[in-house]
Amino acid sequence: MEMPVAIEFVIDDVAGPDHVEVLSEALHARAERSLRERTVWLDTHDWRLFGAGLLLEHQVLAGGSWLVLRGLDGDRIARQAAARATVTADTLQEGAIGHRVRDLIGLRALLPRASVTRPAQVLLVLDGEQKTVARVVLEGPATVKDGTPLGLRARLEPLRGYDKAARRVEKRLAAIPGLSPAESFYGAVFAARGLDPRGYRSKPDLHFDPEQPAGEAFASTFAQLLAILRDNLDGTRRELDSEFLHDFRVTVRRSRALVKLAGDVLDDNVRARYAAELRWLGDRTSLSRDLDVHLLGFDQMAGQLPAPEVLDPFRDQLRREARTAHAALNRALRSPRFADLLEGWERDLTMPRPGPATSLAVADVADRLLSRSWKRVHKRGRAITVDSSPEALHDLRKRCKELRYLLELFSSLYKTKVHRELVRELKRLQDNLGEFQDSEAQRFTVAEHAAELARNRTAAATLMGLGRLEQQLETRQDAARREFADRWERFDRRDNERLYAEMVAAR
Amino acid sequence: MKILASYSIKGGVGKTTAAVNLAWLAANEGRRVLLWDLDPQGGATFLLRIRPRVKGGGEALVTGRRELRDAVKASDYEHLDVLPADFSYRNLDLLLDAQKKPTQRLGRLLDDLAEEYDVVVLDCAPSVSLVSESIVRAADLVLAPVLPAPLSVRTLDQLRLFIDATRGPAPELLAFLSMVDRRRRMHRELAAELPMQHSDVSATTVPVASAVEQMGVRRAPIVDWAPSSPAARSFQALWSEVAARWT
Repeated sequence: MEMPVAIEFVIDDVAGPDHVEVLSEALHARAERSLRERTVWLDTHDWRLFGAGLLLEHQVLAGGSWLVLRGLDGDRIARQAAARATVTADTLQEGAIGHRVRDLIGLRALLPRASVTRPAQVLLVLDGEQKTVARVVLEGPATVKDGTPLGLRARLEPLRGYDKAARRVEKRLAAIPGLSPAESFYGAVFAARGLDPRGYRSKPDLHFDPEQPAGEAFASTFAQLLAILRDNLDGTRRELDSEFLHDFRVTVRRSRALVKLAGDVLDDNVRARYAAELRWLGDRTSLSRDLDVHLLGFDQMAGQLPAPEVLDPFRDQLRREARTAHAALNRALRSPRFADLLEGWERDLTMPRPGPATSLAVADVADRLLSRSWKRVHKRGRAITVDSSPEALHDLRKRCKELRYLLELFSSLYKTKVHRELVRELKRLQDNLGEFQDSEAQRFTVAEHAAELARNRTAAATLMGLGRLEQQLETRQDAARREFADRWERFDRRDNERLYAEMVAAR
Repeated sequence: MKILASYSIKGGVGKTTAAVNLAWLAANEGRRVLLWDLDPQGGATFLLRIRPRVKGGGEALVTGRRELRDAVKASDYEHLDVLPADFSYRNLDLLLDAQKKPTQRLGRLLDDLAEEYDVVVLDCAPSVSLVSESIVRAADLVLAPVLPAPLSVRTLDQLRLFIDATRGPAPELLAFLSMVDRRRRMHRELAAELPMQHSDVSATTVPVASAVEQMGVRRAPIVDWAPSSPAARSFQALWSEVAARWT
């Protein structure tokens, strides 16, 4: 049921207070009664629906409430009756909308992103048979929740098969003094609420000029990192979904790596302070995130056992611990130390300050930092033998992450194709190290909990289940360990050295 | 996409009324509905205030020269679109006969709309013809109004024979007694007996009512303007029966 696209107008004061009469007369239209309508646009924090070209609206009227899925040009894809209460991913009914939305949002929560209330009045343009051939909706003034109010608007809704009538009405509307073409209603509401779905970033979006002073480039990077951290703070505190904490933590890690690797671009005192403070913050997030990861992968892990339900006591315990860990994290996020950290970050890191290397060209600094990081990864990697401890692999993993962050931060300085290829090579190695480390961490958690559950007289079946789980994780970890040599060899080959040299030289 | 054909061998039995009201009820639930008025008399088109005209006529549609979607008109109701009647549909039999596999033609044309609509309601001219065979072949369910008369059992038999004789997978049949006058004993008896004796006859009956006649004056489905009238309630019950089969 393809719907023709609506055409929007704003009505300024010239139209006067009798705008309904003015428009009805100009269009020879019949005015229906005025209704109050509330529309809430739902999307994830990172605008997954919008990114897929969709808008999900919850419309609440006196006569009922609806969930409407639209394309960004306003054409309606599906509509279904909905409850008046706030819609979340959990209360989303089965059906075409629910299916599509759930597929797109994945782990993320469906959140009310913008809400608007306004009177709406429909004008019907009729033909000789009293059949409606076009609808004009007059709406506003509108109250945007947590935003600036919007004035009066008119929206022409053409009807299928009545294109000529719609063109006629559009011409008439455009000729009425005080009416001028406008952007979409949702666009106006988002702007009034200060939202910019296209501007959403989960990681810094950096474009450096190679000659730009390094101090400036670093400051703008720290400013973006701080903005992203703040953007994820509320969702992390309220546990809206697990991705907030994930993005929060990754941002802390990126910032830590940057502070650590910044060398003489930052003043030594500043560097020491934020290295310590960011480490403190990162450590506060670890337990909560580890438990999230464990719980998110729980079903898949337990599914490998013949009777997954024997692990329920283990899951319950993990849930309890996750709650405690989150409460502890929230205490840290409410602490004066955290407030000081944010305040100091803004003051000390987001503006270029005098330092030994702040005026050097960012490209030269990038080359130097990358080269140091590249060498560090190779030194650690080459030192690993079959007898090396898990810590040695863990250490290599951390160095690889640093290299990856640097490559990402400075990507705008290098040739895209070579840069991308190098990141791909590095990612292959990181995946293996990640698999090894995750299995190790999970195995440790399982073993630790098994011991505790055993002390609490837990059923034998559960303990045996945990034993099998530990065994599976060990097998996984061993496989990753065996594969490491091949992965490393591939990463360490001459081709990649050449690729790296080419990337730096081609800048 | 499900296809419901409102069909009867005999005319004037309430076939168009059922088609329009059921289409409205389906759309009112949020389903995307297309009502195709295949009857050259254009009763459904008239009731929904749409001009009974298709550019290029039935020929353009049947030959594929014009896509069905280009002839669709929005009704005054959300989610309810109409493919209007055209006087040229009186020759639809001849037009279909000129096509390869004529009885599959209408179904094929509707396949193109499968992504756009959840329900298609076909309002068919009363006859036994190539068009009705085509419609039965395309339909998932044939909704058949039957008058409460001594001959109604025979009408039902003919209908079943006709459906069985049509090639391809047979649609379900849902017959119901239409224009029932509760003051008449025979109507009451048939309304009680037929659903008991025949599993394809609904227990819901549609009464003869001046409100139904009023539809032609108001030019709107009775379920819209008199939702609590007995006739509207009957249509609601019928639609519930159909919807229950499709969930």
